[in-house]
Amino acid sequence: MNVMTDEWLDVGEISDIPRRGARCIRIGETSVAVFRTADDQIHALEDKCPHRNGPLSQGIVHDGCVTCPLHNWVISLKTGQAQGADEGSTEVYPVRLDGTRVLLGFRGK
Amino acid sequence: MKRLVVIGAGMASGRMLEHLFEADPDAFQVTLFNAEPRGNYNRIMLSPVLSGEKSYEEIVTHDDDWYAGNNVTCRFGERVTGIDRERRVVCGEHGEVAYDKLVIATGSSPFIIPVEGRDLPGVVSYRDLDDTNAMIDATGLPNARAVVIGGGLLGLEAAAGLRLRGMEVTIIHLAGHLMERQLDEAAGYLLQKDIENRGIRVITRASTKAILGKSRVEGVALEDGSVIPADLVVMAVGIRPSAQLAKDTGLEVGRAITVNASMQTSDPDIYAVGECVEFEGTLFGLVAPLYDQAKVLAKELLGEGDAFVVKELSTKLKVTGCDLFSAGDFAEGEGREDIVFRDPARGVYRRLVIERNRLVGAVMYGDTADSNWFFGLIRDGEDIAEMRETLIFGQSYQGGAPLDPTAAVAALPDDAEICGCNGVCKGTIVEAVSTKGLTTLDDVRAHTKASASCGTCTGLVEKLMVLTLGDAFEAAAVPPMCKCTDLGHDEVRRLIKTKELKTIPAVMQELEWKTSCGCAKCRPALNYYLVSDWPEEYADDYQSRFINERVHANIQKDGTYSVVPRMWGGQTTSAELRAIADVVDKFNIPSVKCTGGQRIDMLGVKKEDLPAIWADLGKAGFVSGHAYAKGLRTVKTCVGSDWCRFGTQDSTGLGVRLEKFMWGSWTPAKVKLAVSGCPRNCAEATCKDVGVVCVDSGYEIHYAGAAGLDIKGTEVLGLVKTEDEAVEYISALVQMYREQGHYLERIYKWAKRIGYDEVRRQIMEDAEARKAYFDRFVFSQKFAQVDPWSERVSGKDKHEFKPMASFPESKVEAAE
Amino acid sequence: MDAVLDKPVNTFIEVTEVWVPDGDRLVLDSGNYGTLKEFATISGQESFAKGEGLPGKAWGEARPVVLKEFDGSYFKRTEAAKAAGLTSAVAVPVFSGDTLKAVLVVLCADDDVRTGAIEVWTEKDDLLMLEDGYYGAAKHFEWVSQHTHFPRGQGLPGGVWAANTPMLMRDLGSGYRFIRSDSAGKAGLTTGLGLPVSVPGDKTYVLTLLSARGTPIARRFELWDARSAKVGSANDAVLADGICTREGPLWNDEKERRVSAWQGLIGKVLGSGMPIVERDAPGIPAGYSMMVGLPIYQGVELAHIVAWYL
Repeated sequence: MNVMTDEWLDVGEISDIPRRGARCIRIGETSVAVFRTADDQIHALEDKCPHRNGPLSQGIVHDGCVTCPLHNWVISLKTGQAQGADEGSTEVYPVRLDGTRVLLGFRGK
Repeated sequence: MKRLVVIGAGMASGRMLEHLFEADPDAFQVTLFNAEPRGNYNRIMLSPVLSGEKSYEEIVTHDDDWYAGNNVTCRFGERVTGIDRERRVVCGEHGEVAYDKLVIATGSSPFIIPVEGRDLPGVVSYRDLDDTNAMIDATGLPNARAVVIGGGLLGLEAAAGLRLRGMEVTIIHLAGHLMERQLDEAAGYLLQKDIENRGIRVITRASTKAILGKSRVEGVALEDGSVIPADLVVMAVGIRPSAQLAKDTGLEVGRAITVNASMQTSDPDIYAVGECVEFEGTLFGLVAPLYDQAKVLAKELLGEGDAFVVKELSTKLKVTGCDLFSAGDFAEGEGREDIVFRDPARGVYRRLVIERNRLVGAVMYGDTADSNWFFGLIRDGEDIAEMRETLIFGQSYQGGAPLDPTAAVAALPDDAEICGCNGVCKGTIVEAVSTKGLTTLDDVRAHTKASASCGTCTGLVEKLMVLTLGDAFEAAAVPPMCKCTDLGHDEVRRLIKTKELKTIPAVMQELEWKTSCGCAKCRPALNYYLVSDWPEEYADDYQSRFINERVHANIQKDGTYSVVPRMWGGQTTSAELRAIADVVDKFNIPSVKCTGGQRIDMLGVKKEDLPAIWADLGKAGFVSGHAYAKGLRTVKTCVGSDWCRFGTQDSTGLGVRLEKFMWGSWTPAKVKLAVSGCPRNCAEATCKDVGVVCVDSGYEIHYAGAAGLDIKGTEVLGLVKTEDEAVEYISALVQMYREQGHYLERIYKWAKRIGYDEVRRQIMEDAEARKAYFDRFVFSQKFAQVDPWSERVSGKDKHEFKPMASFPESKVEAAE
Repeated sequence: MDAVLDKPVNTFIEVTEVWVPDGDRLVLDSGNYGTLKEFATISGQESFAKGEGLPGKAWGEARPVVLKEFDGSYFKRTEAAKAAGLTSAVAVPVFSGDTLKAVLVVLCADDDVRTGAIEVWTEKDDLLMLEDGYYGAAKHFEWVSQHTHFPRGQGLPGGVWAANTPMLMRDLGSGYRFIRSDSAGKAGLTTGLGLPVSVPGDKTYVLTLLSARGTPIARRFELWDARSAKVGSANDAVLADGICTREGPLWNDEKERRVSAWQGLIGKVLGSGMPIVERDAPGIPAGYSMMVGLPIYQGVELAHIVAWYL
């Protein structure tokens, strides 16, 4: 959880996100991908692959990572870091569950 | 003597009284209220009572003699109507009792899902002896049917018990696998197999819509429209703490009664214990922490200090013959590593989750021998770095040198069975290898039959050959599908068929996947193989598909999509063109282009516009062009004998017919067709996956061309005389490819691997084989020819296309 | 003196014996003959080839065998058995994989008076059908059972079949395939022990012993789990379930009862892998004079032990 966060946005029900899938949150120009793993963990990344800005929300979720649909970079859901030989990172957003509601921490720009 | 009043005679308060009387029998004069008309019994053993494996008498914890012997005033069957904290009295239905100390142990009540019909007679929850007896009574009817809602611990135990009593039982479960809170998908698969082996039907991903019936329950309606007949419906979806009394009394209540580490509520003379309490945000449902609480509370009441701490919990299921165990946290995550061990022959799955050299979670199915040891490692946070290599094998393996797999094979006795399918033991293989001079796996298979059937022992046989031959043996280098398995695509496909594996978890368990749920490489491949091999039974695993196939459009480099409607055989009309023009205008589509496959591509479409665009296109008669699919794409044609002075046959007509017959089919990789009306080949059929070149005497079928990264002219399959034959032969060819191709392997690569002669033999010469392929193609098309666009226009997967939420940035900034 | 006071006048099973292979013949290993001294002596002199007599038949055909009429049958000790008042017998082969370890034989008397059931169920077309059974005086229950079949997971036989473990049922009188349970209740059958009988080949057999209060098969049952996948050691067994008319429930959720090979009578079964019949032996719980311990194999592994006491 990020100490910088002073605003939690209620963005929806956990059941709105398919297991091993993601949904997008549009905040102004920014798109944030909220992921739900097979075991119901929630993660949020900017919906932008560090490689060529591919929409990570559209990738396949596995092993705590998402594989970008454009060029198969594998990005950690927890740290936003590219895995393996690739280098780069995507912004991670704080996100938490309150019961079944998904709360996203957003700092604006 | 001080007066202690206890509300609720359950397992927590019962244990607390035991500690209390043991430490100081004269400390309190105890009055015990219980809404149930009986004292404390071992509630977690109700399941065996339901099944008939135990009797109620056996599970009574405290009988009348015990209460009498400890001078407990029992007020059983009497509800507590209120607590007066001013006067320090508890008000029962039959009068008041004064207290010096009060313990609230009201436990929990079953959660009843708020659907229509939930109050009908025949709908029961599963919490106490009365519920259990009501269920036993229901089993006494001939051919009685039960539906259990909820596939967690309680629901499964209820289902197994009712089944043993003779009922037809169906479990309806909301999540994708049983006991999803305690088990991962792989263990859930084994559990479901075990439960189904008891003749119990399991429906997962099923949501209850209503309970049906006039004067009593008659069935359960699901959201998908199906109805399951039932004479008894058991709600076992969960429990909620019973905190109403405490709330009415003005005690501090969150999700349950808030207590401190001494089990004290916001009133210092009132304590709470058991399932009705909340401590540091945690609720409690399993018995171990309740007993810890009971101990702390007894000490507190006697003025000795103690503090309750939350510990790791473990789960076991009380269904005779189902051996499972789970403990700790086994969520996936970075910095965490899985060790997975599977033994499909014994139905065993073990998964350990390790983080920073500590065991943090364990899931075990079928072999729970070391569960206590693993649980201890998790609870104590012991450093396991030293025994990491052998940890998965359990306690008895520890202390020895790390196991070299080849050494382990060397140590096997000669009569150890290596190949279970054909009953071949180690000695036989070693002897055959050394006396007959066998050097390849195929030789060994031919001579001994070892690894010739299911092939899961291939690794073992190879190790034996290494042992016997040393360097002389080189394992055939079949590249594995991915890092999750040692098996190649062919082996996996063959085993899916021979072992009749019909779900992704089934494949992973039975083929000993090394990870718990696969990766981005193997999941889409397995999903295709299952769709292809079990068209009728397999439910497509949506999240195992790439994005293009999930949203039925092509993702572009900027994250927008392109939309290509089908134009049958490359033909179109003014009405269709007009509809496309309207869509382009209406949705501000920035770019429109003709494709190489004689269709129109609209590029730069925003994802959220997709359903609306499809709806408009659908009204004009368009369906998806599957331009995104590993499946049938376009059928390119020339104008043929209708217009062209050289045309020999109606190439456009055949193209349209082929496309209408074959669209919707999923294939290992994309399949593009073309039909040329004469050997001048204007449709460029001789560089397609499948091409037809019309000649005077009929139709020449070509295949295995490529015009992408590789450029390759087609091979000729053969000449057929009629259009009907052309359709049959081409469908059979594509079906053969569907059944044998590796995922993402184009036809030309597949054909080269199989051999052109072999393909020709099966399709052109073996009429029986061809017919069988064709029939299987036709069968699978029954399930494949559904227009994905119209499905999505009518609401399917709507979550894919809309953001979950949108906020204008200004609003967010204003809030900060 | 408890043993004498508690002993009921009649028990359902009169004689229990264990036959073991010695070369190519079965010889008597141990037995409990009660007062039937004659029959004991004659049995001690007897031996059976594979396929010969009742024990030999159970061996040769690799299945449990029920015999309800000695006259004119393959039974070899007919004269002695009749002289002893015995009328029926059941033989249960104990196989470890393909190897015969022993044959357990029980003999019963007084068909018209004593009530109980020893049944052999076998799978046909994915249903368990009654292959044969001995019921003593429980004639109606016998008729009902002949007309009942069990799908997987249903009733004691179906439960044992699905779980592939022995099971102990307390309550045969309700639920449980409706008519059969009703009839069981009327016949006074209360406790049922069901166990899988492992034989070479792919046939499925389930044996059930249903005990009535008046003429019990046993008054104490124990069920031990010896699977290494469950108890962690190939040489240990843990008490999984049990019931005793003197001590009440024998299972304890919180305290594990564990024995190792050769430790006490259960340990003897565990260590030898053989069934035992013991009379007045040290280790038999107070109040009982006789004990039968039967190993249950899954393939070659000794998976469970069931024991019953009188």
